[in-house]
Amino acid sequence: MPSESIVVTKIHPATSVRRQRLTFARPRLRALISFVALLALWQAGSTSAAWSGHGWPIISLVPAPSVVLTAWAALLTNPGYWQSWGLSFTRVALGFFAAVLVGVPFGLLLIINRTWRSIAFPVFELLRPIPPLAWVPASIIFWPTQELSIDFVIFLGAFYTIVLNTLGGGDEIDQRLIQAARSMGGSRWNIFRRLILPSVLPSIGTGMQVGIGITWEVVVAAEMISGGGSGGDSASGGGLGFFLWSSYIGGSYPDIIVGMISIGIAGYLSSAAMRFLVARATPWARGH
Amino acid sequence: MSILAPSRGALRIDNAVKYYGEGSARTLAVDHCTLDIRPGEICMIVGPSGCGKTTLLNAVAGFHGLDDGSIHLDNKMLCGPGQPQAAVGPDRIVVFQNGALFPWMTNLDNIAFGPVAQKRLRRAEARDKAAQLMRDAGLAGHEFAYPGEISSGLRRRVEIVRALMNDPTVLLLDEPYRALDALTKSVMHEALLETYYRTGITIFFITHDLEEAIFLGHRVVIMTARPCKPKKIIEVDIPHPRDYTILTSKRFRELLAEADAGVHDEALKSFALGEREG
Amino acid sequence: MSEIMLLRRDVIAHALPFETLSETLLAQFAAGAEEIRLPAGGVVYDAGSISDDIYFVQSGAIRLEPDVQTAAGLPVQIVRPREAFGWTALASHAARRNRAVAVTPATLLRLSGQNFVTMLGSDQREGQAMRERIAGALADIRGQAVYQPAPARRAEGLGLAMARAALWLRSPAPYLMLLGYALLLGFWYVAVQVLKLPRFNEMPGLTDVFQEWFSRNPVYGVSLFTPVYYQHILVSLRRIFIAFTLATVLGVPTGLFMGWSKTFREYVFPVFELLRPIPPLAWVPLAIIMLPGSELPIIYLTFLASFFATALNAMLGVKSIDPVYVQAANCLGASQARVFLSVIVPGALPYIFTGLQISVGVAWFSLVAAEMVSGQFGLGYLINTSYTTVQYTTMVIAMITLGIVGYASSALVRLVGNWLLGWHKRQFALEGGA
Repeated sequence: MPSESIVVTKIHPATSVRRQRLTFARPRLRALISFVALLALWQAGSTSAAWSGHGWPIISLVPAPSVVLTAWAALLTNPGYWQSWGLSFTRVALGFFAAVLVGVPFGLLLIINRTWRSIAFPVFELLRPIPPLAWVPASIIFWPTQELSIDFVIFLGAFYTIVLNTLGGGDEIDQRLIQAARSMGGSRWNIFRRLILPSVLPSIGTGMQVGIGITWEVVVAAEMISGGGSGGDSASGGGLGFFLWSSYIGGSYPDIIVGMISIGIAGYLSSAAMRFLVARATPWARGH
Repeated sequence: MSILAPSRGALRIDNAVKYYGEGSARTLAVDHCTLDIRPGEICMIVGPSGCGKTTLLNAVAGFHGLDDGSIHLDNKMLCGPGQPQAAVGPDRIVVFQNGALFPWMTNLDNIAFGPVAQKRLRRAEARDKAAQLMRDAGLAGHEFAYPGEISSGLRRRVEIVRALMNDPTVLLLDEPYRALDALTKSVMHEALLETYYRTGITIFFITHDLEEAIFLGHRVVIMTARPCKPKKIIEVDIPHPRDYTILTSKRFRELLAEADAGVHDEALKSFALGEREG
Repeated sequence: MSEIMLLRRDVIAHALPFETLSETLLAQFAAGAEEIRLPAGGVVYDAGSISDDIYFVQSGAIRLEPDVQTAAGLPVQIVRPREAFGWTALASHAARRNRAVAVTPATLLRLSGQNFVTMLGSDQREGQAMRERIAGALADIRGQAVYQPAPARRAEGLGLAMARAALWLRSPAPYLMLLGYALLLGFWYVAVQVLKLPRFNEMPGLTDVFQEWFSRNPVYGVSLFTPVYYQHILVSLRRIFIAFTLATVLGVPTGLFMGWSKTFREYVFPVFELLRPIPPLAWVPLAIIMLPGSELPIIYLTFLASFFATALNAMLGVKSIDPVYVQAANCLGASQARVFLSVIVPGALPYIFTGLQISVGVAWFSLVAAEMVSGQFGLGYLINTSYTTVQYTTMVIAMITLGIVGYASSALVRLVGNWLLGWHKRQFALEGGA
């Protein structure tokens, strides 16, 4: 049937464009105001002893934004700083990759095999409440190198999340779709490959997004604990977490804040990258 | 409960115009629609999916404004030039397509919500009155159930009682029985008519079901495909009170044929445009 | 009989309680009745008027509205064709308790009370039967006059839980679960103590750990029977409790407002999202510098992680609410504040509780790390120190304890959530997600 006349549209340009500009600009303006206010407050509070005579509680002990920026500028030319970035990112990648490699099949098996689920899931749930960081010392004892011990803890952090999200995705699958497929003569493998896997993919994607965030938290902590705890040198320690800790130990307080912000940026970048990848892999999934 | 008062509930829609969307996606939804609904009338609005009838209802309810034209209720302006959006209020209560009973409150509390929110009654008094209304409507025994625990047909009836609890001037029904099966639907129809006889309230009822329209309505307004505008108005002269036996009467079948003829072309147009349900 | 008379006879014959009248009486009534036509809205009789007449509805509908003073609580009734009304007052010699109004244009048959009594009197036996019938019908009506209180809330909960537990026990699930645990523990035992696999043999063995844990006189001083064990647990719990409570009290309203108010969100959310990616543990040095003492930094760190999780989930909860509920509440006359309290908060509650569960987990996560790095006492501290002092069995005891306590706190939050959200669970159980 040929599509007939397009619906006549009467546009009122004046209101339309003006409203568009407003909807675009206003939230960004407000965000800007908030950032500026935050920075101003920070600057004022950090330097409060100097300009008001007495230091504000808590905030006056924090290095001022101006000082932090100068320190950061200096670090940008320091190769050690970028090495820390590289080290942390490598660890994150390794640990996360391992978690996906082990976690996704583990989760999928939980979905499709009831027996495995009854055996393995309780064990999973038993071990999950133990925070990954509590495993750091045990990990150091067990693994031959410090690197592996950190990677193991990172793996654990992401592993739990990925498995849970995979499982959650499996639980959401409409049983009627599976029944329909069976009644049309689908084999178990076929149903798995063409029905279960695509349905679960969005949830796996969510799990990966959440997981990468957790991974960054664990990396930082693990680096701080193992690097700081054992007083290791930057060859075996290293990474942004270690940088953060050694700045503290070494008394260069502005570097601490640089470290914090760097880690925040790194975490944000990883999440954004993961979000992008997941969106590309599952174009049919609705956004959360 | 209100006394039969056919002097109130006159809804007049004058040249209503409404656009949807922004910029290049801006389309006309309601095209100079004029409609005069008589007080105490059950007015059925029929039209193909996506034609803009819900847009019209939303304008009457005050959920959005009109780009041109006006709406008056009993000669008081709801919206018009200078005030493009009507105020939302308990004089025009909407019963939604998929239901909007608050799932976290019991049926009784749902019904009692209105007067308590408007501070007209204290909670205990509202609950007593709500219980009585439920009993009148044949819903006794479900007071302390949650909406999620009862059938969809019962939910609709509770929602209508919730609306009526506030003595509205107009009841706005947006395809409330769309999701129900045919058997439940016919029970709902008779229940609605019973309610109508008891209250005499003006009813503005959107549907795509022609049989439902002719069974319930005093008049059936057939809308064009988007943008919507009244194409044809059919007076249903079957006398009240009506029951299911009229469905097989000759007059009913005649009216149905007449309505069908009017709607069919519009339905084809709508289908060609690829309209989605509102 | 003429057609009109036949029609009337038909009407009267179908009207309760007159349907057992003999043909003679029916014919008499039909003849003696007066036809009345009313427009929609026409009043048949008012409440309080003397009842002299009986009415039969030939066509149209009549509404009986109970008088507020004499008949409050009685339902409004609709009388349809081939039904009778107005006779109860006659039989009981009272003033009318209802006001009868025509809903649609109506044609009624009116029989004066006098005629009715006279005609009944003409046939002794029939009259007696009729009187008895009327008396019986009256008694029925009186019996259901006033509003009965509705049935009380049903009991539930424990019985249901027990039934569910019984069902579970009959399935293979619990035994497979035990098998899983046995495999885990078995693997641990065999790998460390029997086979003494490389790397594994450095770890404390299953029996060593449990022996120490349950010993009255533990080698390293920490077991179920030593007070210091409970000290550590309590210290950690106290920190979690304070941090979690603070995070909830601050986070839930923040999240709710961010979801509810565009203005608030546009100002606050950017800063929120700016600070969120910084892992709580990256704050450790700064927290130690900023905050006095050793307790405050730890609580602050624990609080941070929980706060972000709680607020974010609360915000998502608000966004998840179908806008139709807000529209309905507005229609029903609710003010903005009322909509927030009665619709937004309960509607977001499921998400909020999911967020709280996550928040507890995250709190433990941060707490342990913070305790390992600084502070005294606490399970994280215990793990770290037993590691550095090579008291590995104690380390494992602390890890296991951590798992148990962490799980218990999560379960507690979940239980509270389930209790508050009974409506949510029931809804999904019954609808099957449809």
